[in-house]
Amino acid sequence: MIKIAQLSCGTEYSGVQYEIEKASRAVGAKMVYPDVEASQIDRSIRDFGFNPVSPQLKLMIARAVHLAEGRYDADAVFIATCFRCAEGALVRNELRRYIQEHTDLPVVTYSFTERMKANQLLTRMEALVTIVSRKELLARERQIGITAGIDSGSTTTKAVVMVDNKIVGKAWTGSGEVLESAQTTLNEALAEAGLKMSDLEAIGTTGYGRFTIGKQMNAKLVQEELTTNSKGAVWLADRQRGEATILDIGGMDNKAITVRDGIPDNFTMGGICAGASGRFLEIVSRRLKVEVTELGALADQGDWRKINMNSYCSVFGIQDLVTSLAEGNTRADVAAAACHSVAEQIYEQQLQEIDVRDPVIQVGGTSLISGMVYAVGEILGKAPIVPPDSQFIGAVGGALLSSGFLEG
Amino acid sequence: MVRETRLVVISPLSEITPDQITRKVHSLGYEVTVKETCYGAVLEGPPETVSKVMQELRALDPLGIYSKIRGFPLGDPKRCRAQHGSRPGFSQLQTEWQSLSLVEKGLECALRGDKAEDIDIPERIPVKDLQRFCEEVE
Amino acid sequence: MKIFIDPPNSLILFDLVERFGHEPLSVMATIQERVDNLEIDMPPMNVTLTDVKNGLKYAGIEVPSGIRGRLAVWGPLIDQAEAAIIMEDAPYSFGCVGCHRTNLLVDFLVRKRKLPTIEIDYPRTEEDARNMVIRVKEFLEGLK
Repeated sequence: MIKIAQLSCGTEYSGVQYEIEKASRAVGAKMVYPDVEASQIDRSIRDFGFNPVSPQLKLMIARAVHLAEGRYDADAVFIATCFRCAEGALVRNELRRYIQEHTDLPVVTYSFTERMKANQLLTRMEALVTIVSRKELLARERQIGITAGIDSGSTTTKAVVMVDNKIVGKAWTGSGEVLESAQTTLNEALAEAGLKMSDLEAIGTTGYGRFTIGKQMNAKLVQEELTTNSKGAVWLADRQRGEATILDIGGMDNKAITVRDGIPDNFTMGGICAGASGRFLEIVSRRLKVEVTELGALADQGDWRKINMNSYCSVFGIQDLVTSLAEGNTRADVAAAACHSVAEQIYEQQLQEIDVRDPVIQVGGTSLISGMVYAVGEILGKAPIVPPDSQFIGAVGGALLSSGFLEG
Repeated sequence: MVRETRLVVISPLSEITPDQITRKVHSLGYEVTVKETCYGAVLEGPPETVSKVMQELRALDPLGIYSKIRGFPLGDPKRCRAQHGSRPGFSQLQTEWQSLSLVEKGLECALRGDKAEDIDIPERIPVKDLQRFCEEVE
Repeated sequence: MKIFIDPPNSLILFDLVERFGHEPLSVMATIQERVDNLEIDMPPMNVTLTDVKNGLKYAGIEVPSGIRGRLAVWGPLIDQAEAAIIMEDAPYSFGCVGCHRTNLLVDFLVRKRKLPTIEIDYPRTEEDARNMVIRVKEFLEGLK
């Protein structure tokens, strides 16, 4: 049983403790709470150097220090505090850094409200468990045999067929009915590769529809998108060794993942606000009467500084953009402002939860929007790498990892 | 059934042992469950019965035995140390237990009819004085 | 009389209030009712989304959920209290009293009700303890 150490404040009184435990049980893990003697707390706080006023935060720190000193055994760490608590946020973030500096344990942080449900945590918990329990599989750097990966995302479904570490077929379509979209894209990818379904030696599925598709197609690997996308990204960018940050701005969820030798050690996943998603860019495209695929080129010609955008919100933000158009601003400036808004919100709300490590590899459908990549680079102060086929990371990761089952 | 779970805590100055507490409870023959702990015992049963038992236990050492109720029932896995680490209230109980020797002495004085004395808490020294001290040290 | 004790889980205050003939309003009693309520399945405390929403009575939506949830449990105790003892500088305690902001708000809500209230410090010396216990005894006896 994988043991996930919980360092938290406020979960029991926010009605979410049960949800945390439910999510961990669903992925075959168990939440544990490092036991600390009261007499050890002052010493731990002194060693750590941050002395919060709230006792529960002091306990969190003492628990982290015990983990780092090896006095308590756990496989992964989950750090959570109440959303909107400044003291909690400071401790949460510093503890995450401390755990990463002093242990090899994978860690995920979460800032919860009373509305958090187990299913919001499932992907994160599953990724923690995968990192711990499938180390060998995740260490795979070469694809072997004939395998396929299917990424059933909220907006698009992608499929890739790989043979001997090369992509030989790929296809994508807008996500409709989950199984049908998966089969259609896979058939297209197979056709491009000149192969048949029966030629496939293994299939890996990821994304929202992974369970349904995995069951139907008898997939060898059914895996959440955090670890799968990381593997796909470092394979595509040829950055399998060393450190990197993977930024995946998706249709609904955004993922920011730090990796060491291709294996995630910290990640954040956001899905609270549509204003920081690919969906926002789609809405803007519609308003500007361009295809979303053309939005990037349009944004490249514009200047976001000319637009007064007072809200990140996908409703009020759009209103600002419309007003800007009415005031005579160009569509290019508006497109640039939309990209900048998404990038800035991701920087402010997500990238603060991890320590961005170079290089940044930008992937996912939105990485095809050049204006979006430019905006991210401008905000980070360095241009991200966009590997070829960057929208296929999940499918590539699925094909690559599922080939691990062909040996032995 | 409405239950009451109650912690019985023996002051560090008291000569009573947790074992004496549990034996006393057993000897009373009431329908309550008792479990010996490092600081005393945990009682569980209907509130009226627990209250009667508590009176008898206090009589063993009126200034040495303290108690409070506990939210979770005896042996509740949700609050088991092996499962969850120490209960959130455990460290407070530990610290308050250590202070019971002080409270016991305070109670002695209070029951004797002593009056409280005002304790002067020194004010912070004026900045000018601090400045003078600093200059003196220099 | 019903006496709200703060910290609401203190052994010393609970014991003193009972010892001098009053009913302590403690968080443990509330938790006891909650954990025994078989109709709710939200362990360990059975604090639910509805509770946290009810906490809005005491603190606004911009206040973290952990504070509103705690207030949903303690607030009704403060509302029904007839007198209160506030002990400042109590030793480390976690869980229900683990959030300093909540503790500040609870102190304030008690003071705002203008109940007969005594404020004492957690004793560090024998002299402190002597004064603390004498004051609490006089306060509680004066309420009768």
